[in-house]
Amino acid sequence: MARASHPHAMAPTRPGRTRTAAPMMPAQFPLSGRYFTYTLFGATGALYLLAGLVALRVIWALGSGPAAWQSVMTQLAHPLYVLFHLVTLAAVIFVGVRFFRLFPKAQPAKIGPAKPPPQPVLHVMLYVIWVAVSGGLALVLAGGIF
Amino acid sequence: MAENRKTFVVTRFDPDRDEAPRKQSYEVPVQPDWKVLDGLNYIKDELDGSLSHRWSCRMAVCGSCGMMVNGKPSLTCKDPLSNYGDKVDVAPLANFPVVRDLVIDLDGFMEKLQKVKPWIIVAKEKAVEEGTYRQSPEELEYFRQFSMCINCMLCYSACPVVGNEPEFLGPAAIALGHRYNMDSRDEGQHERNEVFRGEGTVFACSYANECSEVCPKHVDPAAAVNQSKINAVIDWATSFVVPRGGK
Repeated sequence: MARASHPHAMAPTRPGRTRTAAPMMPAQFPLSGRYFTYTLFGATGALYLLAGLVALRVIWALGSGPAAWQSVMTQLAHPLYVLFHLVTLAAVIFVGVRFFRLFPKAQPAKIGPAKPPPQPVLHVMLYVIWVAVSGGLALVLAGGIF
Repeated sequence: MAENRKTFVVTRFDPDRDEAPRKQSYEVPVQPDWKVLDGLNYIKDELDGSLSHRWSCRMAVCGSCGMMVNGKPSLTCKDPLSNYGDKVDVAPLANFPVVRDLVIDLDGFMEKLQKVKPWIIVAKEKAVEEGTYRQSPEELEYFRQFSMCINCMLCYSACPVVGNEPEFLGPAAIALGHRYNMDSRDEGQHERNEVFRGEGTVFACSYANECSEVCPKHVDPAAAVNQSKINAVIDWATSFVVPRGGK
């Protein structure tokens, strides 16, 4: 059973003389069909909020001395934290792939005299940049750079 | 040709008698080459003359016969009945007020469409003796797909933002505004970009991409909406550097 849309969805500014039935949302919204991935995409925001709070906690521990830092590192090695970070990683990959699929066609056909590269080229470029940036960050974290 | 039977479950609503829409079933003998619209026309002609639905061209050009079929937006004159099983659920397009049975109220869309000024705006009309406005095939390609919109409203019924934010201009109106913004003969980009940034802003779009998935003419309104976001921002930023859009 579909849920109701906003009561004024697609309604004219001045209502007509005929009584109308209230607008309804598409029956598949929000959890069936293609809407599911869209809803999932939005829901990943909750994970990023939690990941952000964890990062703040780690930064706070960094400023609180070696004992606090060691304590946080021990906590982060707990299987639940590891699972949380794996789920967050999966969410980031999901959002990244969705973003890369939709990003090329969102580029204007021209900006002044400049034109973006063809969509397939843009698509490949995004993945190359992603891999390069991830590789660079991995090197920094592993101590290979700096 | 061999015929089989399908059960059409049609949403009915009579504003004079019904408090809310209700379902009514019809047994329809269908031919293998029938579209969903043929089934509805059979009901109207042979079973129940009180059924109201819109249709006109029967060849996916006029955009009149958009409805929800088994929960999905569909241009019923283009949608073969063979796509469906024994039960076909037909309802009015989602996200629109319903006037009667399968007929939706389009006035809200007409108001939104007018806001984006879907016509060519020029600062000064050329005199006839100056010749015609010319456009190269390459310039046409920038907007050609967006000019294919038939205003069937399938994109509005698929869009979750349209259903939740009444001010949102919506996919088809923005795609048509964008079509004129990309037209080399047009000089109204700044006016339209102000509309895009203002009330009913293009930025309400959360890029669900459903509008493009359901478009029967492959217009890709999601691309138009998201290109309009970038163009509207560039227009706003350049307005500080180049006053009055450089005019």
